[in-house]
Amino acid sequence: MQTRLRMMAGAVLLALASTLAAQAGPLKVGDKAPDFTLPDQNGNKVSLAQYLGKKNVVLAFYVLAFTGG
Amino acid sequence: MGVSVDSQFANKAYADQIGVTFPLLSDFTREITTKYGILNDKFPVAHRTTFVIDKNGVIQHIDREAEALDPNNAHAACSLLEHRKEQ
Repeated sequence: MQTRLRMMAGAVLLALASTLAAQAGPLKVGDKAPDFTLPDQNGNKVSLAQYLGKKNVVLAFYVLAFTGG
Repeated sequence: MGVSVDSQFANKAYADQIGVTFPLLSDFTREITTKYGILNDKFPVAHRTTFVIDKNGVIQHIDREAEALDPNNAHAACSLLEHRKEQ
């Protein structure tokens, strides 16, 4: 009986932890950067994964092209 | 690399005009901008944000909004990473 209770408590904690992880909010320093694959201006697919272990990456999100941003 | 919600074709014209040689990525569906938590909730565009990501894929520095207009902090973060590599 006690073992079953412990297992249930464990399962509840696990469910809570995964819910919290999913709602972690904005990215912060120390977080793993989400991977992506996007087309560049020449139609080549670029992914973050292709730089792993090779180069540091500066990812600059800008508002819109031709707006000085 | 640059990222925006512009089409690949707008980015091509923009890259040609300002003469960049690095990739300008098109997140036309806003999927990645959303994943990075920086989609503007008033207009469907990204908040101006710069992430410095190390070789292990870990975020080492973030500049948000006005901070991201000045590349000096991101540059300093990169120098720090390069320095770490040499040690």
